[in-house]
Amino acid sequence: MKGSGIERSVLMVQLGGLYGLWLREVKRAFRDRGQLIGGISRPILWVVILGIGLNPYFRGEVFGKVNFVVPFTYLQFIFPAVIALNILFTSVQSAVSVIWDREFGFLREVLVSPLSRGTILLGKVLGGATVAVMHGSLVLLLAKFADVNLTWIKVLEALGLMSMLAFALTSLGVVIANHIRSFQGFGIFSNAVILPLYFTSSSVFPLDPALSQAQTRVVYPEWLVTMVEWNPLTYAIDALRGALIGFNQFDPRLGILIMGISGIVLFALALFEFRRA
Amino acid sequence: MPSAVNSSPVIRLEEVSKRYGRTLALDAVSLEVGEQQIFALLGPNGAGKTTMMHILSTLLRPDSGKAFVAGIDVMRQPLQARRRLGIVFQEPSLDDRLSVHENLDLHGLIFGVPRTLRRQRIEELLALVELTDWADKTVRTLSSGMKRRLEIARALIHNSEILLLDEPTVGLDAQTRDRIWHYIRRLQAERAITVLVTTHYIEEVENCDQVCVIDNGKVLADGAPKALKRQFGQQLLRIVPKTELDHSEIVKRYAERLNQVDKTEIILASDDTFSESFLAENGARIKALSIEVPSLESVFLTLTGRDIRDAAADQREQTKTFGKIGGEHTK
Repeated sequence: MKGSGIERSVLMVQLGGLYGLWLREVKRAFRDRGQLIGGISRPILWVVILGIGLNPYFRGEVFGKVNFVVPFTYLQFIFPAVIALNILFTSVQSAVSVIWDREFGFLREVLVSPLSRGTILLGKVLGGATVAVMHGSLVLLLAKFADVNLTWIKVLEALGLMSMLAFALTSLGVVIANHIRSFQGFGIFSNAVILPLYFTSSSVFPLDPALSQAQTRVVYPEWLVTMVEWNPLTYAIDALRGALIGFNQFDPRLGILIMGISGIVLFALALFEFRRA
Repeated sequence: MPSAVNSSPVIRLEEVSKRYGRTLALDAVSLEVGEQQIFALLGPNGAGKTTMMHILSTLLRPDSGKAFVAGIDVMRQPLQARRRLGIVFQEPSLDDRLSVHENLDLHGLIFGVPRTLRRQRIEELLALVELTDWADKTVRTLSSGMKRRLEIARALIHNSEILLLDEPTVGLDAQTRDRIWHYIRRLQAERAITVLVTTHYIEEVENCDQVCVIDNGKVLADGAPKALKRQFGQQLLRIVPKTELDHSEIVKRYAERLNQVDKTEIILASDDTFSESFLAENGARIKALSIEVPSLESVFLTLTGRDIRDAAADQREQTKTFGKIGGEHTK
């Protein structure tokens, strides 16, 4: 038989290809021992060492009155943030494979296939996001240590939010990878982007919710408050915290909205650049 | 719909030009490759071979001109063109963390080959390139020759009619190169496909039906290897005359063919018919005679010159080296 054999419909080809590319990302991630070790050791460090170590200090004296800043232990408080941290690292790491694929080969194999650029990018992002959600879920296994009671509903709600976060962050990773020509630049980038983004997202400390806007700006330096308020990750972590321990500093719908919008915008931007390249 | 399918040329380039900044990589190149031929594109590094491959494989748009594969305009209908092309790039494009089988299966999925056909073709092609025993091994563990064979097999999973091979034997040892060519010829014979292959190894071209010599983005010569030798390679007749008289007679008579002369030997420019008639007429005058048949190498060097072209490592190479030594979570 000559030619392309049995013809499949265009949609089926795209879907089949999407599945293939997604599966590739997931398989690769499971075979990368370094990444798995990072995914496991990072939450243990943050929850077990940092969390337990700082637990007793997580209260403050505000206007002469000693109280817990939020009605939770520090462990409970950072637990959702550590999930976000794991997702953040893994999502951005999948950007490394974007560079690798682009510079040496594999991307070319895909570019000369009948798949559209949109399918190729979506397969990559969904694959990276899936791996990131899996790494995020590893943290859930530590729930007992952190005194967080999980119910199925909480877990499902968290998984939904984690997926949105992972999709947006993986798209962000791809956008950044599009502008990086070499791996050397990547280390600088991950230090310059990941950690500042994480530390200013009310992940490791809350801006005291009992204070008014004006009081907050008296207690904390103005620039820090502004950074926290402008950081989209703040709202994502807040939504996740709401789902897991029932504590919200902002309207939880805001987190969903911000993650949804940034996911769409970042993916569209990544696609625009990928099509042009 | 494919436009204007002409049965004969399977690959056709019409006045294709491509410029990178100030260098003209392809300068109005026209080319035709007939059905079921093994067509070699021969040229030194930087001649424009890879650029041509990238244009044919729809990765690169030419600045001007047209390119067709199987009658399909690669710029207008890239998706249709891609279904008919099997491509092996110069640099390996396998996923080396997946197994041999997984790489082939992924390719099948991407090209929309249904599951049962996929399974059947993977088995067939693995047998063809003799990698059946390696099906479950990670690609990382394969030698570079095996990777190349795997890539050739992969390019055929979607039953492509045309195989584009960009330097398939570069960096391989002589035995492996020989084996790769063995597969290429077998494929062409058994599966009736057309093969366009680039190379800078001259000796490999002898096996091909057609050769096109390109350099600096221009086609210098195009034809069957034998025809090229006839056209560009000068056949020489090396004669040792019996006596000094014979020597001077021959020199006098064939003055216009004289290539080189010393006390004992005369070298004449020749061709097949001249050699015969010379021998018939002057058989009695000569002690020894040898015919020096031109090699493709001499043709190639005549056409492209003898300069060796070096280039500094570019960004890609630097990055690759960095990756190889394990920099920044690579691979």
